[in-house]
Amino acid sequence: MLMVFLLPLVSCVISFLLTDRYAWVITLTAPLLQLISMIGALIVFFSLSAEPYTLALPWFHIGEFIFSANLQINAVSAIMLVVVTVVSFLVHVYSTGYMAGDENNRRYFAMLGFFTFSMLGIVLADNLLLIFVFWELVGFSSYMLIGHWNQKPAAVNAARKAFIFNRIGDAGFLIGLMIIWANAGTFELRNLLLQTEVFSWQTSATLCIFCGVIGKSAQFPLFTWLPDAMEGPTPVSALIHAATMVAAGVFLLSRIFALYTPEALDVVALIGIITAVLSALSALVQTDIKKILAYSTISQLGLMVTAIGAGAADAAMLHLFTHAFFKACLFLSAGAVIHVLHQAQQQTHTHFDVQDIRNLGGLRKKLPATFFAFALSGSALAGIPFFSGFVSKDAIFTGLWNWATMGTSWRWIVVVSAFLVSFITVLYTFRLVWFMFMGEEKSTQALDVTEAPLVMRLPIIILAVASLWFIITINPVDFNGWLFQILHPGKYFHFNLMAAVSASWVLLALGTAHRMYRTGKNFNVKIFQRAFYLDFIYQLLFEKPVLALASFTDRIDRHWIDGVLHSGVYAQVTLAHIIGWFDKWIIDGSVNAVAATSNGLGSFTRSFQGGKIQLYIFWSIFGLIIFLIWMLL
Amino acid sequence: MHAYLLSLIIFTPLLAALVALFIPARAGRYFRLVTLAASLIQLAILIIIFLQYQRGSGAIQLIEKQNWISLDLGSWGILKAEYFLGVDGLSLPLVALAVLVMLIATVSSWSIEKNVKGYFILFLILNCAIIGSFVALDFLLFYLFFEFMLLPMFFLIGIWGGPRREYASIKFFLYTLLGSILILIVMIGLYLSVNDPASSGQFVHSFNLVTMSDPTNFISFSVLDPNNPWSIGPLHARMWAFLLLFIGFGIKLPMVPLHTWLPDAHVEAPTPISVILAALLLKIGGYGLMRIAYPIFPEAAINFSWLVGLVGVVSIIYGALNAIASKDLKRLIAYSSVSHMGFVLLGLASLTTEGVAGSVYQMVSHGIISAMLFLLAGVLYDRTHDRLITNYSGLATKMKSYFAFVLIGFFASLGLPGFSGFIAEIMVFLGAFKSALLHESLAITATLGLVLGAGYYLWAIQRMFFGPFYFKGDATKILYDLTSREYLMLISLALITLGFGIYPQPLLDFINPFARHFAETVIATGQRLILTP
Repeated sequence: MLMVFLLPLVSCVISFLLTDRYAWVITLTAPLLQLISMIGALIVFFSLSAEPYTLALPWFHIGEFIFSANLQINAVSAIMLVVVTVVSFLVHVYSTGYMAGDENNRRYFAMLGFFTFSMLGIVLADNLLLIFVFWELVGFSSYMLIGHWNQKPAAVNAARKAFIFNRIGDAGFLIGLMIIWANAGTFELRNLLLQTEVFSWQTSATLCIFCGVIGKSAQFPLFTWLPDAMEGPTPVSALIHAATMVAAGVFLLSRIFALYTPEALDVVALIGIITAVLSALSALVQTDIKKILAYSTISQLGLMVTAIGAGAADAAMLHLFTHAFFKACLFLSAGAVIHVLHQAQQQTHTHFDVQDIRNLGGLRKKLPATFFAFALSGSALAGIPFFSGFVSKDAIFTGLWNWATMGTSWRWIVVVSAFLVSFITVLYTFRLVWFMFMGEEKSTQALDVTEAPLVMRLPIIILAVASLWFIITINPVDFNGWLFQILHPGKYFHFNLMAAVSASWVLLALGTAHRMYRTGKNFNVKIFQRAFYLDFIYQLLFEKPVLALASFTDRIDRHWIDGVLHSGVYAQVTLAHIIGWFDKWIIDGSVNAVAATSNGLGSFTRSFQGGKIQLYIFWSIFGLIIFLIWMLL
Repeated sequence: MHAYLLSLIIFTPLLAALVALFIPARAGRYFRLVTLAASLIQLAILIIIFLQYQRGSGAIQLIEKQNWISLDLGSWGILKAEYFLGVDGLSLPLVALAVLVMLIATVSSWSIEKNVKGYFILFLILNCAIIGSFVALDFLLFYLFFEFMLLPMFFLIGIWGGPRREYASIKFFLYTLLGSILILIVMIGLYLSVNDPASSGQFVHSFNLVTMSDPTNFISFSVLDPNNPWSIGPLHARMWAFLLLFIGFGIKLPMVPLHTWLPDAHVEAPTPISVILAALLLKIGGYGLMRIAYPIFPEAAINFSWLVGLVGVVSIIYGALNAIASKDLKRLIAYSSVSHMGFVLLGLASLTTEGVAGSVYQMVSHGIISAMLFLLAGVLYDRTHDRLITNYSGLATKMKSYFAFVLIGFFASLGLPGFSGFIAEIMVFLGAFKSALLHESLAITATLGLVLGAGYYLWAIQRMFFGPFYFKGDATKILYDLTSREYLMLISLALITLGFGIYPQPLLDFINPFARHFAETVIATGQRLILTP
């Protein structure tokens, strides 16, 4: 297990130590190490016993409080382990093709390895503080990878935005940690989850931790960083911003599910469904391939979060599992399209935005394999029967249904919204398929487009196959398959009617999609396009006030504090001058006056002694005369 | 031998300065070598100290005690000052930090060309004074070292600094002097009020800090006696004394609103001096509070913990906001120091083991990280003599390893896990939130500092390092990547902050006993004094 965990880090370190000259070595070692790590993860997964396995590692202690770095494998984390390592391995392989010739390859693979390492850290850690550590570290690697092409201002902006939005969520997470610390005095999940009593502080603590989830898993109202993050390389989007990192929030929720109080769960469900609806609507009108996929990711994450809020954490994990594969496949095939079109453009020196679906069309002839993979994984996303997405969505709907029947009426609104989301999902998925692959070729007509290299095609195909139903269950209409059994051991009652309803609903949506997009017409709603003006609101409410406040505090420093200081100093100096004047003219003046008087007196009397004999005779006769006059009178 | 270790580590640089006095001024190279030798000897002594030190205990160790001044004042009693040195879990990490940072600053001073002799002699005196103030346990001795720092610092900024060096150095001097005066007042008050328990008959007025920390040693009805019923204005004299010390050391720390000397001094000082200022001088403020203000006036500390915590949080947020507004790279880093030193105050105010340990950890961690940040700023300044953030763009492509270190430095400073700052801040947060003395909202507000911290650093990175390459200004100046000397300094600091971030236990082994003892004693003594005044 430790090997699985540390190999990606080794890969990262290797890429740092290599010099630029041997940068090609990394394209061999990185996927190889990931492969070993993946095999290890699969071994761990299949040798999983009922009891969670814990590896005790010391970290540090303060006073009597011990912070351990324990790692734990349980059912949920084992599944997550497989998802992360498999997708990471495939993305590594794919990247060797996609990023070939990039001059910062070393940094790219280093960060990819580092990301995988930190992601596995989240999955394995048995201590909330340790989870927080890795939680922030994935944010860092995400920052580095989004901003990989750091000459591009849009990419850099997106990277910063992603990190800061995550930080805002993490500040909430930190407050949650503080509440837990103050009340429970431990971060060990083992101890926290075992307690049977429910305390009142748990609501606030878990909601604060949910803030972290809102940041990382791009939930309302902090989801706008994810579409922007699409400025990063596409494999990164597939790995981090679709399959794994953004799913970390869902994973965390299901990991600490036992801590959540019913009130907190209601909030979670509400936030989840709001996110799902808003982003599904936004996805419907975007024109950038990757942005559509990004909004769709947000929407699917919203559904998972809703499911967790509804108490169906196992269903959410199931959907996380299927979603990771088909969404990674969608991103990677979109990346393949972008990649080959870019290369074709470079050969012919033409220029148009290859990511804008309005420029594309009819690519099924030139890129059959990619089309095939995209269609398969798209069907899984849309939730068409016999695909994995159908099964896991079915699980979520069943969970939501059970939850709604047990509670108050507003829960039905959530259920209806979830159905609406699933309807819209079909619409935007097939809009994407239609615009890219069907119809007539538009701007790409003149280009000589060939399929992507094998290292890119192979991961796509593997992932496409993994979007079929058998990956999670043998019976394509029953989600209670082998994987769900691991998540939820024991019997599970549910009605298969839901599957039928869901299937007919999806088929209805499919028909609508066909009618809407067959003609290639593009609908645009400004408010959806701009994602409900959330970014604008943030700018107005936060960015600008903070900047204004910053320049205000700067003014305080320069004008007021220093101003007081300066005027104090000036007053002092002025006073000193006055005192100086006083010293010079009054005190020194009086002293000088005394001196001058005595000086004058002295020189007057001195003048009596001029050294001339005549003068002496004169003065003595003068004195004698005065004496005589005085005597005689 | 071990009896004189601390004296040795203090006075080695002074000895070296004496040697340097006799070297003719034109032999520039030798001054560097002498200074480097002094630093290396200190490092060796430091290692011996570490070997001698008993880690588990919270007591003061390696004590050196000699009579220093003993004046019979007749009916006034006896004035007694001692040459009293010792280290504990608070001072030893700081001494180690000081030795390390001085070594790095020496290496960084290699590029000083102007009046080398004067520079290095002042530098060595500064070294002596800083380490002296960390190990002195007699108030008078501490004060002596404390004041002794001021003079070399004033000249080092005023002569070797940037364009506005005279303004900056005078501002620094005046601010610090004001703080010193406040501390002096308290010192005199304490001197009048404290009696050495070992005395018989006649009062022995002692400056011993350990003696002062025991409330039973106060002379009845003296100014600062806890039992005297008078108050000055609305507060008891001891409360005033605490506030004076708080302001006095707070200026050094610096805390908002007494911080405006710092951006100017940092910006104008030459790189090695900025490093020392940020990494060491600021720590003396925090150290003074922990060594003097808190143990001697525990009930005032409990009483004013809300104030200390509030000032800490205000510093965190205010410093971060100012950093956002800074257009000068060094100014930005200086304000980030204000922000980070706020955590020291917040952790200290919590008076919990976690909070105090976090506070000390933050001092060490900030010492290392800020040293690194100022070195980084210096690298760029050396090449272009331009620190304006907006004058650069796309440096990442031109200076690759420099960029790597900037990333490490900035992310370490914004508290990314894996770097020492994270451990410190998380402990401060946990302690401050848990503390019964502080309202929860303080810790919660302080988390804003984390978001703002990410904001200003990432914005600076974005403006300076990303985008297409561009440098406004003298095009003939070549932006070459790190030299091996710079590389060596930066990599050692980066490894240390990484090491303490991943595995904090070695450092915590020293801090833990102290923090626990400190928090418990201050709370216990303080509460006893509040209950039975």
